[in-house]
Amino acid sequence: MKKLKVIGVLALLVLVLTKCQKAADFPADKYDDRLSGGFATVFDITSHAFSNMFPGMATYDQEVHAFGDAAFNKSFVTAPAPINSGLGTIFNNTSCISCHHNDGIGLPTAGELQSSLLVRISLPGTDAHGGPVAVPGYGLQLQDKAVFGKVPECKVNITYDYQTYSFADGETYNLRAPTYTLTNLYTAISGSYMLSPRLAPPMFGLGLLEAVPESEIVAFADPNDANGDGIKGKANYVWDVTTQSRQLGRFGWKANTASILTQVAAAYNQDIGITNRIFPVESSYGQSQYDGLKDDPELPDSTLNAVKFYATTLAVPARRDVTDADTKRGELLFKQANCVGCHKQTLTTGVNVAFPPLSNQVIHPYTDLLVHDMGPGLADNRPDFGAGPQDWRTASLWGIGLFQKVNNPGYYLHDGRARTITEAIMWHGGEAAASKNYFAKLSKADRDSMLKFLNSL
Amino acid sequence: MKNTILALSCIAVLGLSSCSKSNNSTPTNTDGTAEAQVITDFVNVVANPNYIDIQTNASKLNDAVKTLVATPTQANLLATRQAWKDTRAAWESCEGFLFGPVEDNSYDPTMDDWPVNKVDLDALIASNNPLSVSDITTLETTLKGFHAIEYIIFGVGSTKKAADITAREKVYLTSLTESLYNTTTDLRNSWDPKSGNFSNDVLTAGKGSKTYATRQAFFTVLVGSMTAICEEVGTGKMQDPYAARDSTLDESSFSHNSTTDFKNNITGVLNVYLCKYNGVSGSTSLSTLVAAKNAALDNKIKTQINTAIASFSTITLTYEKAIYDQRAQILATQAAIATLQTTLNVDLQAFIKANIKD
Repeated sequence: MKKLKVIGVLALLVLVLTKCQKAADFPADKYDDRLSGGFATVFDITSHAFSNMFPGMATYDQEVHAFGDAAFNKSFVTAPAPINSGLGTIFNNTSCISCHHNDGIGLPTAGELQSSLLVRISLPGTDAHGGPVAVPGYGLQLQDKAVFGKVPECKVNITYDYQTYSFADGETYNLRAPTYTLTNLYTAISGSYMLSPRLAPPMFGLGLLEAVPESEIVAFADPNDANGDGIKGKANYVWDVTTQSRQLGRFGWKANTASILTQVAAAYNQDIGITNRIFPVESSYGQSQYDGLKDDPELPDSTLNAVKFYATTLAVPARRDVTDADTKRGELLFKQANCVGCHKQTLTTGVNVAFPPLSNQVIHPYTDLLVHDMGPGLADNRPDFGAGPQDWRTASLWGIGLFQKVNNPGYYLHDGRARTITEAIMWHGGEAAASKNYFAKLSKADRDSMLKFLNSL
Repeated sequence: MKNTILALSCIAVLGLSSCSKSNNSTPTNTDGTAEAQVITDFVNVVANPNYIDIQTNASKLNDAVKTLVATPTQANLLATRQAWKDTRAAWESCEGFLFGPVEDNSYDPTMDDWPVNKVDLDALIASNNPLSVSDITTLETTLKGFHAIEYIIFGVGSTKKAADITAREKVYLTSLTESLYNTTTDLRNSWDPKSGNFSNDVLTAGKGSKTYATRQAFFTVLVGSMTAICEEVGTGKMQDPYAARDSTLDESSFSHNSTTDFKNNITGVLNVYLCKYNGVSGSTSLSTLVAAKNAALDNKIKTQINTAIASFSTITLTYEKAIYDQRAQILATQAAIATLQTTLNVDLQAFIKANIKD
């Protein structure tokens, strides 16, 4: 009997707890506004705010995360070497951390030691899977560095045209429009080619975004603008090399990558020149830089999996100043400007049997994970599967108020052209033009409130 | 970057904060005089003097190399090695407070990346490529800094002789040490009140600092950096070669200086906690602050730091040999560091949150 009683109490406890945790049964106003990542939120406002693992993980998971963390920090060297062997032969940087400084956004320079900008390249048209067409001798990404004795594919030159504008009240802001040109091409490219610069994005919260059900994301799409708000949004279905199938793209500035695993494996292969089980062929294969070594895959599978797990389990920093009146007013204005038409405040993750901490989390990433036409000002004019010439994936905004803290001074947008959040807003166009104009017409006090809100994320 | 224990303690915070809306009472402000003095003393007694030492020692290393190049005797090689070790010691102790420009401006990887890209380094030396200081600037970080210098002056297994150093190596070595000196100068200047003046960001924490909105924020970062180096030494630098039984994974394997490196890292933690550097003590330290309110915690921290530092003396072989023959001693030292790490990250951080309110 006693045993039954205990079981009874335990069952009741389970019931109660389950009820509490069911997202749908828990009223929205009972959530703590600070918990941007649900249970996977951390309270850290230091320069390491993006570098914390999910709270409460099992010891074993912590070990795997730590192993992935160590691998993320490791510099690769030229083969053959006893450790971290296989750099390049052509590459963009020597370790993950050298682009993703402090697990955050990087420096918008190319070819320098701490540079975090890479440039994609392709020919007009689409390949067999509907993706961009590789450039013979270059592939789909330019590697602007090389190990000793090999030639980098090119040098990427960035120049800016600076223009000062002012709001109606006289406050000025400066937009710098970048131009990307290539010099020192190691071999000629015949015909016209398209370039797309991409800055290393922050690493945290990715596991949660991957755990959002596809149906929830696709439901945001409004390809014919049925509600007439000027915002369309479309899902970018891409060819996923890992699963050898068409999948919803979620990651990358144009949502051209379906999963964290594919993203990590592609970055090892393309950015550092480290072959792995997903991408076992050197990026320089078929080119004069190819090393011809029989050392592929260079990355142990355990390392690939651990770094994938690391990227999956970096926690989201909590919001600050959520009860502040200006912050609240800014949030209201953010909604009134219909920024939330794309920057969706709340998503809910699905059930993840393999890794329960990702399950049923109410999160506030401020993205719909769809691609939108952002107008000619931001356009790279290089289609990427379903993402058109002017399309970019809605950037998540969680943690944006900490960019300056983590990556002093902080850069914004796909190529880091914006140096402040105001500049980033004023670069918006296309489907976001109306929201940008709304912001531009606000009084200084109201603009400051909206910025205060954004800085609280 | 990892933060295991922070993660654990966050569950508690999360659990509490999600149960009910936070209604913390307004914290009572102490006058903060002692806290201000701890910050002032940290800046003036520990941080700046330590950065000055790295620069001074790097300058001596560069001088020693010039002497070695002019007169390549074994005595001059030994003097150069000693100068490298001295510079290294100052650098390792400042890793007890690895925040600010050293991190933001990537001075750390520029000076101390690892492993050395041996294939490229050997090829570079064998080539006719220019090796001036400005050429060094553009080299990947695995081809310069402490460990590239170490490779040239010690060689694999510390077998290098003065007579073995080639003409090209001499040119490279001279530029490498000058380049290292330049980076240490940049690092020193970044804190120098007459230059970058990051000192002021720290000194004005909570009083207008653009980096630290509150003093509590600064102390959290300070203790966080002490914790981080414990973790890096205990679970990274010591663990990797130990677990793999592979001495090529030792950070300073050419010089057999790894154990000294580790010990100096933890000495850096002691320096910060006691506000003490090179025999000079500040008037008020983190220890003073803790002792005033929680003498038991202060004693616990001091004992644990000293235990961890003392534990290194049980590793009597080079670390390259100890990973095979003194595994118990390594394990015990790691355990002492782990204990300290937990105390800093849990107890001391909790103390900061509870007692530093401005």
